[in-house]
Amino acid sequence: MAGYLARRLLWAIPVVFGVTLITFLLMHFTAGNYVPGLELNPNLKPSDVERIRENLGLDRPLIVQYLDWVGVGSIIQAVGLAGLLGGSHNIQPGLLEGNFGRSLIDGTPVLRDIIERLPNTIELTLTAIFLGAAISIPVGVVSALRRGSRLDQTVTAASVGGFAVPQFWLGLLLILLFSVQFHAWGLPWLPSGGATSPLGGGDVVDRLEHLVMPALVLAFFYLSTWSRFVRSSMIETLSQDYVRTARAKGMTDRRTVYVHALRNAVAPLVTLVGLELPGLVSGALVVEVVFGWPGIGLLAFQRAIQTDYTMVMGITTFAAILVVAGNLLADVLYAVVDPRVRYA
Amino acid sequence: MEERSGVPDGDFERFERFLDDWSRRDFLKRVGGAAAFASLSGGALAFLEACGGGGGGGSSSATTPKKGGHVTEGWAFDIKTFNSVLTQDVYSSLCIGMCLDPLLNSKANGDLVPYIAQEVPKVASDGNTYTFKLRKDVKWSDGQPLTSDDVLFTYNLIFAPEYAAVASPRRGDFTQHVANISAPDPYTFVVKTQTPYAPFLVTHGQYGIMPKHVLGSLAPAAINTADFNSAPMVTNGAFKFVRWDKGAQVVFTRNPNYYRGAPLLDQFVYKVVPNTTAVANQLKTGEIDAGQLDPSQVDSMRTEQSIGITGFAVPGFQFYMQNLDPSKPTGQIFQDLAVRQALYTAINRDGIVKTVLFGQGQVANSVEPPTSWAWNPNAKPVYKYDPSKANQMLDQAGWQKGSDGIRAKSGLKLQFTMLYSANSPVLSGIAQVMQENWKAIGVGLTNKEIQFSSLVTQITDTRDFDIILVGFNWTQDPDESQLFGSKGTARGGFNGFDFKNDQVDKLLSDATTTTDPAKRKQLYFQYQDLMNEQLPAPILYFNKFNYGVNKRVQNYGYGTFNQYGPRPWMKDVWVTDGK
Repeated sequence: MAGYLARRLLWAIPVVFGVTLITFLLMHFTAGNYVPGLELNPNLKPSDVERIRENLGLDRPLIVQYLDWVGVGSIIQAVGLAGLLGGSHNIQPGLLEGNFGRSLIDGTPVLRDIIERLPNTIELTLTAIFLGAAISIPVGVVSALRRGSRLDQTVTAASVGGFAVPQFWLGLLLILLFSVQFHAWGLPWLPSGGATSPLGGGDVVDRLEHLVMPALVLAFFYLSTWSRFVRSSMIETLSQDYVRTARAKGMTDRRTVYVHALRNAVAPLVTLVGLELPGLVSGALVVEVVFGWPGIGLLAFQRAIQTDYTMVMGITTFAAILVVAGNLLADVLYAVVDPRVRYA
Repeated sequence: MEERSGVPDGDFERFERFLDDWSRRDFLKRVGGAAAFASLSGGALAFLEACGGGGGGGSSSATTPKKGGHVTEGWAFDIKTFNSVLTQDVYSSLCIGMCLDPLLNSKANGDLVPYIAQEVPKVASDGNTYTFKLRKDVKWSDGQPLTSDDVLFTYNLIFAPEYAAVASPRRGDFTQHVANISAPDPYTFVVKTQTPYAPFLVTHGQYGIMPKHVLGSLAPAAINTADFNSAPMVTNGAFKFVRWDKGAQVVFTRNPNYYRGAPLLDQFVYKVVPNTTAVANQLKTGEIDAGQLDPSQVDSMRTEQSIGITGFAVPGFQFYMQNLDPSKPTGQIFQDLAVRQALYTAINRDGIVKTVLFGQGQVANSVEPPTSWAWNPNAKPVYKYDPSKANQMLDQAGWQKGSDGIRAKSGLKLQFTMLYSANSPVLSGIAQVMQENWKAIGVGLTNKEIQFSSLVTQITDTRDFDIILVGFNWTQDPDESQLFGSKGTARGGFNGFDFKNDQVDKLLSDATTTTDPAKRKQLYFQYQDLMNEQLPAPILYFNKFNYGVNKRVQNYGYGTFNQYGPRPWMKDVWVTDGK
């Protein structure tokens, strides 16, 4: 296991840097000479644009900009070879020194913005995962117990529908129904966006109200696949020999199903949930945009459109690190949960 | 499980029977009921809150202004900075205007009013000197008095050579026109322009003044990233900054010591909302009290009992630029004036405003916006939508229709690609109408959507386009040299379509170097006639903005030139229910 872990970690490093390089190139080649945050303003002079680009370091060759961001730039400067980089520019510590740079739009430190917004995203995705698991287990079990019945068929149809439905469509539909229409009909209604109420909000009830719809939309997708999985896993488990043996020994149905069969049927669900761990950070983007949920996904989306190079690269790098870590964690968890699994 | 075990298990059997019953009943009915129950219990909490807070349902609209309460305004964009010389977008200007006052401000019609300055200064007899006498009663929120030191500091950020590292988009224009700035005594600020520059007060007199004792000690490059830019804790405006939850909202609270009189509202919230549809939705649910309406939502919002709608013309417009550069493929074609005029005649601009804009716009018959004091309502020539006349003009100019229906002359075909920004239903709609209109006169148009950032690069740099469809906003001053003056053809300028006309240059230059409004108006009238004839970048229409405001909010005086930036009417806003 230790050798396996070491090898995985070694592979992670080029993966993360590959992500940064690709993001960097993509952003620069699609946006060209654009000045981040530029509005078409009649008072803007070409000299202003030149000066701002120079201030932001955007006029340097691409390779220099990339090395600077990665942190190699400051290492080169530290050993006195700054001339190699065209010298004069104030070279900041970069990624290797733990500095993700500053946003080109508003100058705030990228890492600080990410850390500020990350809890919101985690709150949303964790809630969705728990909701998804909590609902899919009973639904899957009941489907398995009543296999072939109308209940089972309806649940199957709903699962397929849930898998196919686009998140933004479902989100908008829920907003229209539970916010706008319920309010128009005089019923109690849910807030249509954001994480908290701007004034006097922030308490648990307020946060829950805002969390319900986005979490449900996100959970819907998990629900549909996981309930199918629990169902088939349960059916398979119930046909195992030890279940028949238990019943033959006189165990009650309830005990057989809920104490023995259920546990073994649901254990592999852990793998599926583990597969979602990497998506904890990056998976909620569509829902965040539709509901205006102030998380990492929304930040990345808004800043990508405004070509805030450093912010977008910071977020994708951060997400890449978490995804790689999440994948590793899921694999390790799998080995822990299922003793039959061994890694060479 | 079909078999039952021999051991009696009452609970489990009951559960089994329950499951049997369930599969017989209408599953959907139960699911629907469960969903309603879930939402009910989720919303029950909201309901209880609303019940507790709503009280007697204040519907009586008292006419005496009451102190207290808050207003939440919803926008589909987050702000970027609180630094008045760094800001480039109107949303940041809006929030800056809540807490940082400028020397001068604007009324709805664009007239200047004095703010920190005691009066709007008249330029001295030399035509270059502006002397601002400051009010003596303006205080910062930390108790310090505001003096000309702060004003000089703020303006030095865009003028002094040592502050060149400050990434301000205003420095270019300011340093080009201003000779020097000084503060001879604590309540006087003097600016000398190099030559008479008529737009000076309007263009550079409205920056929020920032505190020297907070920012003065920072190195110039550090000003770009100062904490003040995201959390201005020391302010001088009608409201004080409380907090900025990035991507969510900005919260302001009343400044009780405001020199023009404390605002009636306790708090103001700038709320970031996902998109313009969400603005309309949240207006309906009451989560926001005010917000800008998309043209497509105006009619449906009129049916909402609780929302009042204000609409007014703005100096924003849509136009298309034709690449006149002779070295570019279309340059030769667009040099022909008859082609430019025929193309414009063939566009059904009335139809565009009616269908694409839902009527929320005004067809343009001049390059100056109708909101401008320099607007000539009778600019000539006037182009009415007339496809047959357009066909005639092209025939007479020698452009014959080929076998493919496209007109051609000496090997050049009237076939163009038009670029415009992606993700805009309005622009897509306009592009489609133009395509159809021009097909009817034998001109082929291919539409291509690109990212806004690439579009800007095309306009200011690469410039290898045929036609670009884009929107723009004029300011209060009628000067348009940035777009139509030949200086703008330099790399980085907005005259990406290479329009160089000596007469236009002279008119524009004369109009900015004389400070006599009557003379300027005359020059601009001539300028508009000339531009109508030349049509390098014809304007389709000028926008009309609409705002929805909840009827509980009084005195919300949105106007053309004071909707962003400091709002003179903001301190008189009050809410009927006091919440």
